Amino acid sequence: MKGRVLDGGALVLADGDSVATALEDLDAGREVRDGDRAVTLADDVPFGHKFALDPLSAGETVRKYGEVIGRTTAAVAAGEWVHTHNCESTRGRGDVAAEVER
Amino acid sequence: MRREFTGYRRESGRIGVRNHVAVLPTSVASSCVARGIAAEAGAWARATPHQMGANQPDEARAQTERVLVGVGRNPNVGAALVVEFGTEDIDAADLADRIARDGKPVETLSVREVGGTAAALQRGRTALDSLNEAAADARHESADASELVVGVECGGSDATSGIAANPAVGDACDRLVAAGGTASFSETPEFIGAEHVLAERCADEETRRRLLDRVERREATADLMGVDLRGAQPSPGNQEGGLTTIEEKSLGAISKGGTTPVRGIVDYAERLPVGGGLVLMDTPGYDVESVVGKVAGGAQIIVFTTGRGSTTGNPVAPVVKVTGNPRTWERMRSNMDVNAGAVVEGDATISEAGERVFDEVLAVADGKRTGAETRRMEEFAITEVHPRELAEVRGK
Amino acid sequence: MTRNPHPDRRRVTPDSFAGHRRPDGRLGIRNRVLVLPSVICSHVVAEEIAAGSPGAVAAPHDHGCGQLGADAEQTERTLVGLAGNPNVAGTVVVGLGCETVRSDVVAAAVEERGLPVRELTIQDAGGTDACVDRGTAAVADLRESAAAQGTDGATATADEQTATLGDLTVGVVVDDLADSTRRHAYPLVAELVERVASAGGRVVVAGNERFAAHPEETRSLVGDAAADRLLDAAGRPARATRVGTEAAARGFDAATGFLGNAPVTGVAAYGQRVDETDAADAAAGAVTLLDAPSRVEEAATGLAAAGAHLVLHVTGQGTPAGHPIVPVVKLSGDADTLAAVPDDIDLDARETDADDLEAYLLAVADGDRTCAERHGLTEFAIARAGPST
Repeated sequence: MKGRVLDGGALVLADGDSVATALEDLDAGREVRDGDRAVTLADDVPFGHKFALDPLSAGETVRKYGEVIGRTTAAVAAGEWVHTHNCESTRGRGDVAAEVER
Repeated sequence: MRREFTGYRRESGRIGVRNHVAVLPTSVASSCVARGIAAEAGAWARATPHQMGANQPDEARAQTERVLVGVGRNPNVGAALVVEFGTEDIDAADLADRIARDGKPVETLSVREVGGTAAALQRGRTALDSLNEAAADARHESADASELVVGVECGGSDATSGIAANPAVGDACDRLVAAGGTASFSETPEFIGAEHVLAERCADEETRRRLLDRVERREATADLMGVDLRGAQPSPGNQEGGLTTIEEKSLGAISKGGTTPVRGIVDYAERLPVGGGLVLMDTPGYDVESVVGKVAGGAQIIVFTTGRGSTTGNPVAPVVKVTGNPRTWERMRSNMDVNAGAVVEGDATISEAGERVFDEVLAVADGKRTGAETRRMEEFAITEVHPRELAEVRGK
Repeated sequence: MTRNPHPDRRRVTPDSFAGHRRPDGRLGIRNRVLVLPSVICSHVVAEEIAAGSPGAVAAPHDHGCGQLGADAEQTERTLVGLAGNPNVAGTVVVGLGCETVRSDVVAAAVEERGLPVRELTIQDAGGTDACVDRGTAAVADLRESAAAQGTDGATATADEQTATLGDLTVGVVVDDLADSTRRHAYPLVAELVERVASAGGRVVVAGNERFAAHPEETRSLVGDAAADRLLDAAGRPARATRVGTEAAARGFDAATGFLGNAPVTGVAAYGQRVDETDAADAAAGAVTLLDAPSRVEEAATGLAAAGAHLVLHVTGQGTPAGHPIVPVVKLSGDADTLAAVPDDIDLDARETDADDLEAYLLAVADGDRTCAERHGLTEFAIARAGPST
């Protein structure tokens, strides 16, 4: 597997990524260690889903695979589940284009 | 690593891994007859029923023709029957000529000319039997991996796709390209957000320019519909599987093509080269339409990664299902062919999983049947150039 | 050439037929369990379930994923509409599990309308083999619960009920403006439309290109509000440009002369049920226009979703399409077509009068099979509102 496995339970795909991917269902409260820092999960994070490694402010870009995968729509604390409720696409936004046209 | 298999040598020089007789309707009006004829005949006959109309705008019709001719020319097809109702703009005789240029036995059948549905079902059956006899004459001979054109697809993706199954299939693609073969992946909407990575890998400026242009056009469909692409990309199932945005999905998706230079990007259903290295095709992300595009382009085998568990196949090309999700491998074992879940569990490296995929491709080329083949999963659909897109293109 | 394939069937009177009364009071003229894939990925499984279940029919289609916005909504609405057709005794919705048009959402919408439904996905079932088994059991389960309510027409005749023309919703699609169609078929269809309407039945008419070509006349026919819905939609570029071009060239009467003098009271969106439109109350005894193209494979689906019991397809070219859940009756006045595909055309418009046509439709409503039904022609299409993504 590419990337760096944390405590056998999560995967960071590239250095500088702001999120890690759960490799199993992770329960809220679990501590995941990444080198000398530790992140405590604020939410349950299902297998395949992501959580923030660092605190992110609203509108900040989210990075995975060493690339931008979207931006936050709200402030996200480290250990919070990151998904469609707090992260949006920056691409394919026909809805935004339609707003601008109006 | 095995490199040889036994296939069916065609007049064109290309090698087939199956020896089907294709039954190709020119429109939805003749699809039922085509399906009926093939169903009566047996598993060697493969129909491609579809929903395209008898009268399509020129651009849309040209694409439908390209798909049908391409499927007829696919080396897995030993002979073909083109079925028309008789009022279509597409001319069955013309399609048959284009397919027969490869030296393949091809017949046509017109429902109107033979006196209706019942008569067409009867006549079609007779025609198919003689075509099958002709196809049986194909030389069954040894061939090399360098002669394979493998289409790569992902569908029903989840987060394991980008971590395990796609990189494993990408590794297999690298092996195939090193062996001198052609690998092709497509699904242009799933380049969005990752196109800069692909662009850097393009072998020449022309390919790079075409790639970026195609991505821009696909992204514009979201503008056309006035909605967030996330209504469909990533799909609801992708989202349940942990994929949040199209960028995230794309970055995971492109790894299924491996790491070799991008040699070119062809249009939907356009002919893919033999011995061409990694070549992209511009298709929608909609799996069945995308797979059909690559089969029409000449792919003899499709390798299809799926995290959630997609079960679709194709009428003329075997579809090899690779899952990187250990739970899907457990739950849907009978529909899956290769387990890349071992990568997620830390029990295999990507390279080991890639070798397994490559070996499976060669075994399937040699005649091993895939789960989708055993279960006759033969979904077929042609992507339509929609009137809304045409209006946009013409407007510009 | 009016033919009756089952001359020994006996109806109570020549102007009645036996239908299947549903628990909610609706009357069906066929009694099938619909196995409805929500996406192409589950269509082979849906077909296998239907093939192994007596009295079930599958509606395999090419869509359900990679669709955006209004396009995805239209597919979903149409699937829900098909499940609501009165010929459907119950519906088993089959999904893959990860598609855009979700099987659980479709099933929930069907259930909300009080209709019998079961839902399953290939991914939940653990593969295609298990899904076929579960789906087959779901069909049997629907049949049994329908029987418990006394609506199983496959075994019981007690709930068969005598009905007449006014109980029908008749779908109409005319797929060309050929001379033979206008000369021979238009007057016949016009009279039938008037008869159905005056008997209190409903007529639903597809072919939006004909109206789009004549906005002013359409406005005066149905009023501005309803016309806007049809014309807005018609502002979208169409596929069947030929019908539109000819309709514009030949004038409104030549485009719509088959409507007769029956009142036109409403407009239904593609996939929408007529009894769920704004003008639902006025639909009985009148014509509702459907925002569906003239291409029969798409039109028949829209008409079935609108609630038509059967579809009258007027065709110069003789396009043979049928539909999984509604009988499609072919009427042609074209000499070449009638000579070329005689077994695929139910009625020769040149030799048929309105009494014959009415009698034929009632016989079909009574269970006689149309040419398309006898040939097993069920290939259909769902109109798209946008490109695949």
